[in-house]
Amino acid sequence: MKRRIYGIETEYGLLINGDDFKYGSVDVAVRLKNHIFDKKTGVLDLHYRANDEPPGNGGFLVNGGRVYLDMGHLEYASPECSNLTDLVTYDRAGDMVVQDAVEEMGWGDQVSIIKNNVDLETNATFGCHENYLVSRAFQFDNRENLRMLASFLVTRQIYAGAGRTGACNPQPFRDWDEVNHTRKEQEQVDFQISQRADHIPNEFYRWVQYNRAIVNTRDEPLSDPSKYRRIHLLVGDSNMSEFATALKMGSTAVLMELIELGVSDPDWILADSVSTMRDISRDPDFKWEVTLRDGKRSTALELQWEMVNCAKEHLKGSSTDTDWVIEAWESVLTDIPKGPEALLGRVDWASKYWMLTEFMKAQDLSWQDPWIKSLDLEYHNLNRQKGLYWGLEETGDAWRRTTDSAVEHAKGTAPKGTRADGRGELVKTLAQSQTGYLIDWIGFRLNKEEPFLMLDPFISYKKEIRDYLNNLDLQQPYDRDSFFR
Amino acid sequence: MTTQPIEMNDPLRREEKNNPAPDRKDAGPSRPDVSRPGRDDLLKRMKKVDPKQSEKYKQRTGQ
Repeated sequence: MKRRIYGIETEYGLLINGDDFKYGSVDVAVRLKNHIFDKKTGVLDLHYRANDEPPGNGGFLVNGGRVYLDMGHLEYASPECSNLTDLVTYDRAGDMVVQDAVEEMGWGDQVSIIKNNVDLETNATFGCHENYLVSRAFQFDNRENLRMLASFLVTRQIYAGAGRTGACNPQPFRDWDEVNHTRKEQEQVDFQISQRADHIPNEFYRWVQYNRAIVNTRDEPLSDPSKYRRIHLLVGDSNMSEFATALKMGSTAVLMELIELGVSDPDWILADSVSTMRDISRDPDFKWEVTLRDGKRSTALELQWEMVNCAKEHLKGSSTDTDWVIEAWESVLTDIPKGPEALLGRVDWASKYWMLTEFMKAQDLSWQDPWIKSLDLEYHNLNRQKGLYWGLEETGDAWRRTTDSAVEHAKGTAPKGTRADGRGELVKTLAQSQTGYLIDWIGFRLNKEEPFLMLDPFISYKKEIRDYLNNLDLQQPYDRDSFFR
Repeated sequence: MTTQPIEMNDPLRREEKNNPAPDRKDAGPSRPDVSRPGRDDLLKRMKKVDPKQSEKYKQRTGQ
């Protein structure tokens, strides 16, 4: 596999248990964010990043990632990672930074952080965004390439979906471009394998709210635009399983490489990717039949087999990560027909489905019982003593891609091999200084100095940043008027 | 907690289980026939969940 940079952005849900807690959920999110920065695990922004991101709304962490508030949600963006093990480790480190804050505030019993993507009562949705750095030469404007990528993304939910009870039937905005106008009648859905499938009305689109697309086409590289493109996807679910996170991101990166090599197969293209996404997600029999653009019938499982076989033929042996992905990909595709229990701890929807059906059997409940919705949420609770996913770790059923000690380390140290390493060095220094700063993914500026650019995400810039900081007076008090003049 | 720096690229840090034994040979998902070790612990954890907590989960739409 080619050298990649990976990143994940997670918008967390927040549940207040009990009726008499003193703060509402938005207020709790603000206080948790403030606590994270009060204890010097990062530095808050001093400047506006956008109209809805005023100073103090968020900031960079000593591990190179970011914590901030986005539309009422506490959000963590992982630092740039150069391999799948780091990615999973830093994704989990973000979970723990937030959960630690809950417990340090003494709110462990009253506040639950829920790493999911949907409010099952109101059907509000919030995202898990995937980021992949590719070469600017990647033919992203070629619609055939995007359609092959869409076919992959629509069918990968059979192992990447986090599962949910019930359904949502949102209608698209009719006056926007490129909207799929197909309407579906309300149907009774007990369980579906994806949290986001009901909220994606488009195949390609550039915006990220309401009119979401399978392939987000926004071009915002956050690096040298002459060399790189950042592919930013919002179609996926937040995964609790480390294995699922690694396979979701790894298989997607492999698929992109097949497209770059020109060996992906146009026969994979679906007739209608948007409706197929929902049909696969909602199929109660898990047969996942699809219609291809040429009119032929297939299944999501068969398409995924064709894709992994293509990867095996062209990419096997190219890197440790690639070989892990191919092996893991084949293993889940082999085990999917054996049933959800064979996928426990590797596939979130299957783990959740198995737990819920076992519980319904033991308690004589139906899918419509409110307890089942509550258990669905609890699968995603980041509290290890309560969350149902952690029960799988306790029983030894969770397949891991990192360790607790690595996650602990990653809360306070940036990953090696990317510019996050240099950024982490900068943030550690600034957390102990008085100076004014402006930090973004692509560089920073201190006091009245010229900006320090970090346009290549593959370079750590650590030594250069150390040398740069050594030549500055970092105890010079921050003067806002002077800094932003 | 004291932590030691570790090599983040070390594939040996992977902690994976062996493949679970298949419970059926035929195709198509199916409910397991036998009780799984740890199932009772999971059910105990599930039983502690407030049956009405979903109603308290009031989220805004994000991105």
